[in-house]
Amino acid sequence: MEWNNETREGVGRTRGEVESRGVMTRVESGGVVAKRDKKYPVLLGGIKDAPEQLYYRGSWNSDIFKNCLAVVGTRRMTSYGRRVTDQIVGEVASRGITIVSGFMYGIDAQAHRAAIEAGGKTIAVMPCGIDLVHPAHQTDLHEDITDSGGLIVSEYQSTHPAAIWTFSRRNRIVAGLSQTILVVEAGEGSGALITANFAKKYGRKIMVIPNSIVSPVSRGVTQLLREGAAPVECAGDVLQHYGIIGFKREQKKPPIEEILEEVEGEVEKNIVRQLEKEAMEVDELARVLGINASDLGSALSLLQLGGYIREEQGMFYLCS
Amino acid sequence: MLVKVQSAANSGLEALGVDVEVNISNRGLPGFDIVGLATKAVEESKERVRAAMGNSSIEFPQRKITVNLAPADIPKEGSLYDLPIAVGVMAGMFQCNVPAQSLFFGELSLDGRLRHTRGAVLMALFAKERGCKNIFVPQESANEAAIVTGVRVYGVKNLAEMAGFLLGTTKIKPVTYSAPAHDTAPASEFDMAEILGQEQAKRAMEIAAAGGHNILMIGSPGSGKTMLARALPGILPRLNEQESLEVTKLYSVAGNIPPGGSLITTRPFRSPHHTISQIGLIGGGQKPQPGEISLSHRGVLFLDEFNEFPRAVLEALRQPVEDGSLTISRSRERVTYPCRFTLAASANPCPCGYLSHPKKACSCSLREIQRYKKRVSGPILDRIDLHVEVPEVDIQKFSQNQKAVSMAESSRSIQERVGRARDIQGTRFAQEHIYTNAEMKNSHIKKYAFLELGAEQLLSRAAQQYQLSARSYLKLIKIARTIADLAGRETIATSNMGEALQYRPKEYEPR
Repeated sequence: MEWNNETREGVGRTRGEVESRGVMTRVESGGVVAKRDKKYPVLLGGIKDAPEQLYYRGSWNSDIFKNCLAVVGTRRMTSYGRRVTDQIVGEVASRGITIVSGFMYGIDAQAHRAAIEAGGKTIAVMPCGIDLVHPAHQTDLHEDITDSGGLIVSEYQSTHPAAIWTFSRRNRIVAGLSQTILVVEAGEGSGALITANFAKKYGRKIMVIPNSIVSPVSRGVTQLLREGAAPVECAGDVLQHYGIIGFKREQKKPPIEEILEEVEGEVEKNIVRQLEKEAMEVDELARVLGINASDLGSALSLLQLGGYIREEQGMFYLCS
Repeated sequence: MLVKVQSAANSGLEALGVDVEVNISNRGLPGFDIVGLATKAVEESKERVRAAMGNSSIEFPQRKITVNLAPADIPKEGSLYDLPIAVGVMAGMFQCNVPAQSLFFGELSLDGRLRHTRGAVLMALFAKERGCKNIFVPQESANEAAIVTGVRVYGVKNLAEMAGFLLGTTKIKPVTYSAPAHDTAPASEFDMAEILGQEQAKRAMEIAAAGGHNILMIGSPGSGKTMLARALPGILPRLNEQESLEVTKLYSVAGNIPPGGSLITTRPFRSPHHTISQIGLIGGGQKPQPGEISLSHRGVLFLDEFNEFPRAVLEALRQPVEDGSLTISRSRERVTYPCRFTLAASANPCPCGYLSHPKKACSCSLREIQRYKKRVSGPILDRIDLHVEVPEVDIQKFSQNQKAVSMAESSRSIQERVGRARDIQGTRFAQEHIYTNAEMKNSHIKKYAFLELGAEQLLSRAAQQYQLSARSYLKLIKIARTIADLAGRETIATSNMGEALQYRPKEYEPR
């Protein structure tokens, strides 16, 4: 595995810098579980270099480790990555599967959030001492995880600083805790691939969400597909592996006809029809629909405020 | 023999009367002294006057000559006293009268010719104010001074001519103002029609030009931000008379009017490099000079690579952007320069530039991106009305869609629309001492920006949903006002407000 920018990022140039960036967690329930302890997760205990002890925050309940799915991916999440993570992880978590991830921003954090929002449980494995939050700006998420009955775990005690090597060590715990690992978006040399490698070594099932080949965060995913990872189209594909079958996808999205009925104006209707096919940026919409930027702009604002469409990084999407 | 010659000193855009008193004494050792807080450039005037007279076949008197620049307690600067001193010396020598009610101004060359001197138009304005009938300026500066009506402007070629005039042997004809030939060349190097795609950005440019709104363009390298900005002068309306004079005065003080030049009729477009110093940007110096912001008065100040400018330099923009004028205080003097400009800025979304690029991967970490964004402070961003994204253009999509290419509008037709919108604003604000919608204060908004019911509902819904600040709220109304003006509407319609909402600042941070 090559250390490129992405894997290195957030680690900081010096130890001191990382230390200064981690922030202390608030005082809350927690403790430590040793490897020989009965409470120690069985699946993790089975791997060769299992951590000698796990420090944790939140309330330890062995049930949480029963059915775990690791969700990992790039830090440079695209809006596609966000959407599929919300959708698939949310549905999986709502069926009682624990979502395990590495607490890094991007797909990791999104997976934690999706699980919490769906009312599920999630475990965050930290790359630093249990008393630190890294990355520091995600303190809110840190609290949300423990508040929602999830766990924060780390093999490092107190204020052990995060360093380049702790990140990949952390990944082995993420893989070790889970029966299956789902890679959402991963560029070339992404940290998610390190986790996938561990998963391969431990004999875990690897699943991926297919991505567009022109996307900068698809190379890693494609590589895994080539190596035999299972593609995931819906939450049901994942749930099957946990013996949950007959899962029906909920129809949350109103049919396009319904939206078209609600929306007034021909320009607005045309926009909805166009966006149903594919997300677009404003200039492209103007060209395809042959309307000027002025009329298009006002129609887009009306649709946005009506909650029919969404804008993310310059692209317009139909709300699902 | 004592001779008094009138001249003036510049202090910013103001001028102050200066009497140049020349005394040629019959007693004492021959010499030439200047008193009255003369700085180096004025002190050197002695040598120029002596040489210029010699080279014009006028014998320099071997007497004791004392020149006093009164009032003696104000520092005098620049080379403009060459001509009045020479006139004083010659009048004393020839024992003739200096023309009454006349102002003299100009730098001498050693060969006796008069050189183009900065500040001619201010001098003429001062003469008019003072009730002086004649002003004598270098010939190359004459057309600049002649902008001012009611004052006879004499363009003097050289010292010999001046001497002839004093003796009554030569006649100098007063210059009449000749308007510069309207340059038919386009005001910008690019035409909007040449820029493929970027419909929204072009429209935002049009709104910025029409209402004088500040605009920020964000996009990947090579997406066309700079090209768009360079095309902006081509759609700006021409300066009106009052504006022209304001700009010309500033350029005259800064010495930016070329020899033989005259009234400036095209809107300034300045694009300083990001290594500019604070003083270079906002003005200053021992003798306070206008900075780039004042030189772009009534025009556009384009700051390319906005995030690369030193933070302190950008912060200095805050108050001038708001007030439209800047007072520079130095120990010796305090001057106020107007700086009512449209700020156009362009920036990359992140240090590598490829954040949110559809195909290329961004190689910046979250921290790098945050640090990059923090270089421009919130208060500065808050003063920019239009935020627009300039996405990468996919050339392939154009080859498929010929209709799109023909859709592109030329700068000229956009400029016409912009001109009409400016005219509407001019009529509306005739009593308010402002020219554009961007300058509207709260009271103006209440008076002139009437929102139709639908527009008001839309705005309050947006305010709730996007948690708009009071300033953003008012900014949206101003933009909607301009959009309505472009459409020729009296009141602001729902669609106008809807469009305005597209240009609000957006969050780019990856979550």
